[in-house]
Amino acid sequence: MAVRSEAAYPVGWKNGRVASWLVTVDHKRIGILYIATSLLWFVAGGILALLMRAQLATPNEAFLTKNSYNEVMTMHGTTMIFLVVIPILAGFANFLVPLMIGARDMAFPRLNALSYWLFVLGGIVLWLSWFSKGGAAHAGWWSYPTLSENFPFTSPGHGQDYWILSIHILTLSSLLGAINFIVTIHNMRAPGMTWMRMPLFVWAIETYAILLLLALPALSAAVTLLLLDRTVGTHFFIPSQGGSILLYQHMFWFFGHPEVYVMVLPVFGMISEIIPVFSRKPIFGYKAVAFSTLAIAFFSMLVWAHHMFTAGLGTGLDSFFMISSLVIAVPTGIKIFNWLATTWRGNLIFDTPMLFALGFIALFTMGGLSGIFLAAFPVDWQLNDSYYVVAHFHYVLFGGAAFGFFGGLYYWWPKMFGRMLDERLGKWHFWLLFAGFNLTFLPQHMLGLLGMVRRVYTYHHGGQWEAYNLISSIGSGVMAVATLVFLINVWRTNVLRKGVRAGNDPWLADTLEWYTTSPPPPQNFDTVPYVTSARPLRDLRRRLAEQPQ
Amino acid sequence: MRKLLSLVPVVLVALATAGVAAAGNGGFAPVAPASPNATHIQHAYFLILGFTAAIFLLVESLLVIFIVKYRSRGRSRAVEGAQVHGHTRLELMWTAGPVVILAIIAGFVFYELPNITPAPAAANPIHVTVEGHQYYWQFDYTDTPDRARSIGTLHVPAGAVVDLKVVSPDVIHSWWIPALGGKIQAIPGRNNHTWFKAQPGSYDGQCAELCGALHASMDATVLAGSQQAYQHYLATWHETIGKQIWNGVCATCHGNLGQGGYAPAIANNSLLIQPNALAGIVHNGFTGTQGSMPPVGDTWTREELDGLAAYVKKNIYKPAPAGGTSGG
Repeated sequence: MAVRSEAAYPVGWKNGRVASWLVTVDHKRIGILYIATSLLWFVAGGILALLMRAQLATPNEAFLTKNSYNEVMTMHGTTMIFLVVIPILAGFANFLVPLMIGARDMAFPRLNALSYWLFVLGGIVLWLSWFSKGGAAHAGWWSYPTLSENFPFTSPGHGQDYWILSIHILTLSSLLGAINFIVTIHNMRAPGMTWMRMPLFVWAIETYAILLLLALPALSAAVTLLLLDRTVGTHFFIPSQGGSILLYQHMFWFFGHPEVYVMVLPVFGMISEIIPVFSRKPIFGYKAVAFSTLAIAFFSMLVWAHHMFTAGLGTGLDSFFMISSLVIAVPTGIKIFNWLATTWRGNLIFDTPMLFALGFIALFTMGGLSGIFLAAFPVDWQLNDSYYVVAHFHYVLFGGAAFGFFGGLYYWWPKMFGRMLDERLGKWHFWLLFAGFNLTFLPQHMLGLLGMVRRVYTYHHGGQWEAYNLISSIGSGVMAVATLVFLINVWRTNVLRKGVRAGNDPWLADTLEWYTTSPPPPQNFDTVPYVTSARPLRDLRRRLAEQPQ
Repeated sequence: MRKLLSLVPVVLVALATAGVAAAGNGGFAPVAPASPNATHIQHAYFLILGFTAAIFLLVESLLVIFIVKYRSRGRSRAVEGAQVHGHTRLELMWTAGPVVILAIIAGFVFYELPNITPAPAAANPIHVTVEGHQYYWQFDYTDTPDRARSIGTLHVPAGAVVDLKVVSPDVIHSWWIPALGGKIQAIPGRNNHTWFKAQPGSYDGQCAELCGALHASMDATVLAGSQQAYQHYLATWHETIGKQIWNGVCATCHGNLGQGGYAPAIANNSLLIQPNALAGIVHNGFTGTQGSMPPVGDTWTREELDGLAAYVKKNIYKPAPAGGTSGG
């Protein structure tokens, strides 16, 4: 019964230019919608970041203070995590997984559309909270009680309730998506595509989906209890009435740390696709890269309380979570070294996707290494909740995840739209973003070590504090310019249609999505070749070359 | 070219060292420690810095070397690189190497740990209850017979082991004086503990956990002076508590002179000269349609509230000009 693609049934109003996008159940269109919507929120969340950096550029500014600052800070974090990084990766996964495994669509196309529209709804609910009584949520993206409880001097008004509702909607969206990915990957792979011949990006999405299924319910439960506290008078998290704040911290971070890997594992997958293609080599150690993904996911479920080292859990628990957090560095290191080894003796071609992938390695390494300081719990007591942590997770989530997905955008753009993004603008985008990013976040390590705590709207020190903060704010401006360059590139390529037309396989890549046309037809493939290795397209090219003319 | 590249790490290390030297700590290490726990945390920091800096240089220089050495140099995209699929022994090496390094790091942390926590046994430790409030720190000297108290500034004798019990009645705060060791959260419903043994000096810090609108104003100072100075404070704290409360609590929202800020101006408000009414508001707080005030002084004694009343009457209150109103 399932209508796989509306284009196969060209009837009536559903064919309209706009309507066809609104009713689509085609995984490629849904993927593109996901990505476009996420980029919109990326710009919105980025503007919030610029507001904060403007306020912090010099000491004692009065541009954005107190609760207004806290609202902007909370919305920036929530937006970037729940409305940008997670959904843009879901967008890539939607577009790519069926193409990469040689399927015609996701297993449940309608469910897929539901996931997307729930994501849109969740974003709207979150941003409508600006207009609610008492303003947007302002208790930080963790929303620790009792600050997030409904008391006169914590979080009265409805901003926090909107936040909770939006998290509910978004977790539902991600859960449905995760089920869809797992079913698709398990059941719909092309003939010959065994687990060990699956693209590494698909491995990453399989792992990402499992992590979402395991971690998200903890978040849904935590915010449900918080909602009950706020609205019907329970006291799960109100200690004066027998509740426990640590309970919330545990529930939140039980979700929160796997969440970090939900945001970087798919990017690891993209990097594992991009680096071999632009090195003209196979990935170094396919099995090591695939299994280290699973290892990271497994250990990521065991490290959550390293976010709680200053909560006074005791030496026993702190020691356990230190060791598990250090262990996770091992599979991560394996990936870094395997990527490096992939470039060894290659024919490295520095197109924009490769620049972003190499930039990812450079920056993510920094974020991974600064994490080792935070894993050692006595050192964390010094660094926790300081700007050092802000620097650390931006190296992971921007230097890592965002550089990765920008690389992915340049790499798969020709497949999505049939046109290449401009290389010259792409290189400007990369170098400006790379410079701006380091200007913004490198000095924040120093600020944290000097004693600047996070989530403050102002500071009183001059000297080094002022210098580092000013550099950081200037850097944020450079990042904004870089983003503008990217948007201009998109405009030029897709709206002005100046992008060079791409053939099926402009990069001479390895995986099945490049077998079909750019953009692919609604049914994706007319025929799918029998997959004989993890690089079916290279096999095909070689077979063609060997054939007598 | 390759020779030039091998110089890159050397230059980087030299630059970093010069940077650290030029800037003092400069943000390349935690602020100069003034307590044994902070010192030993610093040791662990430097050990980790050594290993991570080495790994960082290794990875980034390999990256740069490979980028330069294996760049395409105009070769066509169709030219393949060496079709190497892996190397088990090499991969085992870069699995085992990090395991060894991480084991050393964990081992060193456990080696340093007894010097960091718990508080060392001492003949006469000083016990202080640190209470985080929106938006001030309150210190109760629980060893003293009259339970001496201070607001914002903790007075201790230098060289004494100070045992801190860290609590909160409202939201989560986090106690952090960078020079005196790590943070510990003040969590409602829990008693957390930390300690320090300060060298003589004055050390600033501030609340590290988001606690509301004025989180950024929740400062703390530890004043480690002579034993006499400490005893002097304990003997005279009654005389200054009113001033401390005004400066540390009221002024944060109402301005240093009561001219208003986050909260309304109160310098002209006649409540300031009615000790009972003032005590009631400060102790109980109020919520109303025109505004609300948290019960900032719910743990203050009548004596302390009277101290506050006396201080504001003398130093803050200015009668409204004729015809003016005393809003509030």
